[in-house]
Amino acid sequence: MVTEQKRFEEIVECLVELKDTSELMLDLAYTSLLLNSRELAEEVQHLEEYVDNLHTHFELLALTSDFTKEEASGFLGLIRIGVATEKIADAAAEMAEVVLRGIEPHAVLKLAIKEAEETVAQACVTADSQLVDKTLKEARVHEETGMWVQVIKRNGKTVRPKGDSKILTGDVLIASGYAKGVDKLRKLASPQQTCQVE
Amino acid sequence: MPHFEKIEYKPIPVRELLLDMKNLSELMIDLAYSSALFNDKELAQEILELEERVDTLAYLLDMEIMVAARDPKDAEALVGVSIVAAATDKISDAAADIAGVVTHNIGVHPIVGAIFEKVEEHLTKATVKEGSAIAGKQIGKLDLASRMSVDIIAIRRNKDWIINPLDKERLLKGDILITRGAPQGVKDFKELAEGSLAQLEG
Repeated sequence: MVTEQKRFEEIVECLVELKDTSELMLDLAYTSLLLNSRELAEEVQHLEEYVDNLHTHFELLALTSDFTKEEASGFLGLIRIGVATEKIADAAAEMAEVVLRGIEPHAVLKLAIKEAEETVAQACVTADSQLVDKTLKEARVHEETGMWVQVIKRNGKTVRPKGDSKILTGDVLIASGYAKGVDKLRKLASPQQTCQVE
Repeated sequence: MPHFEKIEYKPIPVRELLLDMKNLSELMIDLAYSSALFNDKELAQEILELEERVDTLAYLLDMEIMVAARDPKDAEALVGVSIVAAATDKISDAAADIAGVVTHNIGVHPIVGAIFEKVEEHLTKATVKEGSAIAGKQIGKLDLASRMSVDIIAIRRNKDWIINPLDKERLLKGDILITRGAPQGVKDFKELAEGSLAQLEG
């Protein structure tokens, strides 16, 4: 029974990872189009490979679970959700491919991404910001603004931050989330609004 | 065989079509997960209808792009728009696939609850109770996105679903709200709606 419990937990973990990664990829894909960033587009492609493998692993786990006849339909439901996350990841990869093929994203695309309900915005961090010297985890940007920091631009390089990455003065944060959080993010990063990026 | 309507060309700006497709496709993902999580057939049905709308938008957008391209240079510039639009269409298809699990009575194993406890963005169902601080308020006035990182994506009122309610929509006692957002935010919001939290902070 213990092993069965463990298998269930692994199925849960796998699907959580599939869902979160597919949505992260979508955010990154739109960001790569907005910034015409090959780096981010490549990251999306890497994640797509990761999702493909994870998805196979997830399906095998689900299929080899010792479920009852009554449970079979519920497992099919889970498998279908898994397929949908993989499809979303695919769609994100297709968007990022546009950037990798060297097609400069059309102005209308950038406009749509900026104006959307879930948008991508940039904010630069000034010395007077409470974010300076905090790790991404400590900064609680999502809790404060509803925006997820996806990328940090520092000295012309783009970095995909982890929870323990420190935010420094001069960083440009690239975050995705509800359009309503953009102003809040910019105020948090540059309280006097002395620094603005487009 | 389902009935497919004829789609005639309409002059709508590409920007508008693309914006609608992006917004709808992302909204549909969360609505679809909600329909699976809360096993709500009627909500799932709404998603299937939204999917048809996205299909129509995809046709219109393609026509618009074809009309706009006058030479190879235009075609090169516009092909990316077409690919991205097709990807949003694919995402809406994925959402409809999830909704189909619900409408076809396949059902999702109860561990789905544990899954949605652990994902980054949480989905919650909350009922507006009498005396709640949000009853009678317009959504826009609550400033939920910046205050609590919460977004109301659907309202169940009497027998109808209001999908992606506007800022001016007033929340009424008895409304069932589906929200998405940060784990703490949606939890606080549920308490606020159901009356155990008296006030919005900040």
